[in-house]
Amino acid sequence: MAENNYKDRILDTLQTLRKYALKKAAPQEIEIGLHYHEEDSYLMRFANSAISLNTNEHLIRLDIAAYQGKKRASYELITNLSKVADMEHGIDTAIELVKHAQPLNYQPTIPVYAETFSDESCYDPDLAQISNAERLAFFNQAVAGLETDEIKSSGIFSSGSSISAMIYTTSENTQFFRLSDAQVTPVLAHSGLKWEVIAEGSAQQKTDLDAIKLNKDLKTLITHYLDDIPQQLPLGKYDIIFGSAAIADMVNMMNYIGFNGGLMKRGYSFLSEAQAGKKVVSDKFTLRDDPTQRETFPFRRDFYGLPRDNFPIFEQGVFHGFTWMQDDADEFNAQPTGHTVSHKSLALSGGEQDTPATLQELIAMPRERDLLYIPYLHYMNIVNPSKGVITASSRFGALLLRQDGSVGIPYNVRLTQSLLNVFGEKVAWLSHQTVPYNTSMSYGKRNPTAVIVPTFMRVNDLEISHSNPSY
Amino acid sequence: MLDQIKEHVMNLKTKGASYVDTRWYPFEESNSLVMWNGNLKDANYSRESGIGVRVLYKGAWGFSASSDTSDLTGLYNKAFDNAQIAAKRVSLPVRLAEKDDIQASFSSPNCINPMEVPLSDKVAFLKQIDNQLNQPGVFQRIALLHFIRKQIIFIDSEGSEIEKQITEVFAEISVLGQDEQGETHKRSYNLGQEGTDTRGWESIDPQLFSENAERIVAELNQILVAEPCPKDDRAVILLPGIMFLQTHETIGHALELDRILGYELAYAGGSFVTLDDFGRLRYGSEKLTARANATLLNSPGSFGYDDDGIPCQDNVLIDKGILVGAITGRQMVEEANAKAHRQIFNGSSGANRATSFYRVPIERMTNINIDPGADGNLDDIIAGTEKGLVMDGDRSWSIGSNREQFHFATEIAWLVENGQKTQVVKNPTYKGNTLEFWNSLSAVGDKSTWKLEFVSNCGKGQPNQIMQLGHGVPVCRFENVRVGE
Repeated sequence: MAENNYKDRILDTLQTLRKYALKKAAPQEIEIGLHYHEEDSYLMRFANSAISLNTNEHLIRLDIAAYQGKKRASYELITNLSKVADMEHGIDTAIELVKHAQPLNYQPTIPVYAETFSDESCYDPDLAQISNAERLAFFNQAVAGLETDEIKSSGIFSSGSSISAMIYTTSENTQFFRLSDAQVTPVLAHSGLKWEVIAEGSAQQKTDLDAIKLNKDLKTLITHYLDDIPQQLPLGKYDIIFGSAAIADMVNMMNYIGFNGGLMKRGYSFLSEAQAGKKVVSDKFTLRDDPTQRETFPFRRDFYGLPRDNFPIFEQGVFHGFTWMQDDADEFNAQPTGHTVSHKSLALSGGEQDTPATLQELIAMPRERDLLYIPYLHYMNIVNPSKGVITASSRFGALLLRQDGSVGIPYNVRLTQSLLNVFGEKVAWLSHQTVPYNTSMSYGKRNPTAVIVPTFMRVNDLEISHSNPSY
Repeated sequence: MLDQIKEHVMNLKTKGASYVDTRWYPFEESNSLVMWNGNLKDANYSRESGIGVRVLYKGAWGFSASSDTSDLTGLYNKAFDNAQIAAKRVSLPVRLAEKDDIQASFSSPNCINPMEVPLSDKVAFLKQIDNQLNQPGVFQRIALLHFIRKQIIFIDSEGSEIEKQITEVFAEISVLGQDEQGETHKRSYNLGQEGTDTRGWESIDPQLFSENAERIVAELNQILVAEPCPKDDRAVILLPGIMFLQTHETIGHALELDRILGYELAYAGGSFVTLDDFGRLRYGSEKLTARANATLLNSPGSFGYDDDGIPCQDNVLIDKGILVGAITGRQMVEEANAKAHRQIFNGSSGANRATSFYRVPIERMTNINIDPGADGNLDDIIAGTEKGLVMDGDRSWSIGSNREQFHFATEIAWLVENGQKTQVVKNPTYKGNTLEFWNSLSAVGDKSTWKLEFVSNCGKGQPNQIMQLGHGVPVCRFENVRVGE
């Protein structure tokens, strides 16, 4: 993947396949789309203070979409660039499939790329080619001095690069995206008491990696978890400080059951078209899809060739409107908004200046009431999509920041709340400082994803619905 | 190809690897079809092939995988390099439990290869079901089919050679409706083991789906006019449509030995279970006997041999309420016995599986089942319940990182008052602490209530893996459960 002419080789192969597709499909009034995805993935996984797995995968996939009138079908294969005949066979298969597909009751748009577009600005070869030895050295530095016989390190150093390239029979123009990414999550866990604390890093460039910061955050949490007294919190209402992981997780959930136009039409949203232009959450809440932010591993064109720029979703609590993927827009007669991409570039704006930027500042901050710090929400799920109700448990380093300046260690608690409530009028402040929080979940193709969120968000008077008697 | 693989495996042994295995997937095919409101939104086939190589060197694992089989030397060297680096940070060197070298094959029992069924037949089936779901009250209707077929050839440095032909069939139909307040509600049906012992296209029975389509539409319309679920403490009677998930989340995942030993602490989480608990912990009431049975016919949790090359087994996990077993592979049983300073496990239970050639095997559920009980059928259990809720259909599930507490929402529930099932309620939920909940198990239905449910999408591990498995569960009743929150 590192060779200089590799990009040309990929695009030449796509052009060759396009010619084949034109020859085979055009006489049957069939259009073909070819999406190429290549990943070079490395993952060093740690557990019990050892490397539990060191793995790498190099995979190339070709997704072939066939369109005939209102019919659509697809065929995907794992392949490599030397297997042109296999890929051509895949095109033949997609052509056969679409003939037997069922017509949609709407006309699907077939991309016509008006120009060739290439974006490698978010590719850093130094990060993509980081070595095994460097990965290990980084992790060792992140947990340096913190492991004991009882406190064991675990976590991951995941890094790699991915290429997405696409072409359609409708145009000889191509789109090409190359990204590099890394996600680092050192965890320290007490083998007997079963608590865990985490520090997390996301990198688009090698220079984004900062082992010293991770070590500092882990050390802060470890100190409290060793020295302060754990307790089961009484049920009731708390002023809660959410950390970046928890905020990003809830913003992502909003992306799913909130402002996604297609899902709204299918009944999976707590927002409605009538709410567009109206204030529905806190005026401190400004959320954009902002592909100018390199830390989000952005796509500056969507897969239909639409330019992607800063797209407001909420402005000071006012709901701007739904995002629309092309296929949903086709089905529901809506205007596509350039959101047919593997992931959005969500960015929640920071708040006032005089707010904590680091965990150490948060702990040291004077407070007029007890505050419950929840850095991370585990296993979030949707209880009621129509009301935006989600449920999840705290994990990875919650703290009770008492009014008198002392710190307690709460056992895990559960929140069952509407996102409208969490992001509503109870929001007291958001940190001015924002961070990219890596939310990559590569179940299939490598798809690095990060959400930019404030470091912390304070929400007053939120009820916890369950309180553990242990970690 | 096979000879080349064997040669590379033995080459790494001579270089100093203590163990090497290879999983070669000559092919894995997948076919998914989704019809949504009459539109065939997805008609996708996929095909992949490749090799995954796992190497144990000085007590540490290295793994490498590629879809490109033209450079096997490079692939094996990379796996070996990865293991050599991993060996620089070892706390307890990996040891593998003893096993026999096995030359064998396994094929999922099936009559009609679903990949060879014409697309037009599959679309016709979906269309027929879609038409039946298109009834008053139904706002969204979804019908989906998913088929997987793969060939796996396993070779290891201990002399095993196993070939597997796996066929998977999944099918689901769902309807959504909106009530007067504009809230969306769902009712669904998933194909389980519905009387067929084979796992091909023949397990898609149009009559079965037709009957269930009629039922879920009728039940959805009851939900749309129902009162909200009460918020109080009462008995819950879980039908297999939610009982499988309760078993999955609070027994299955909690008893994966890699979780217990801390190998998932950075992601999926740990377990409240400790090594001291085996043979001692009262996990549930005496009515609870749970087992991992990978020998059942027609289930995604039955696969012949795991990816350590261990034959599938039927093992008790919880015996009359007492914890006795776990879901294990070769590495973890050795580590657990060493850490516990006693022989808890006598060899692997054959549950180490990878989702693809490019993922490494980890402990995965097989068929995690609850034995039928002696408390009669569903009517008998309802008749013996003064104040309760019959619950069915998984709508939402969330569980603490050590599997110690949970919150579930179901699609539908019926009130039980004085031994009678009365009205439907909407937005039902229940929650609890795992051990307290299982110890409140007060009734276990007989064989007539037992159903083997399929799970197509259990996620675990880093890199992430999706696994298929099963849960055979009866109707169960639990006492004093908080509902409606």
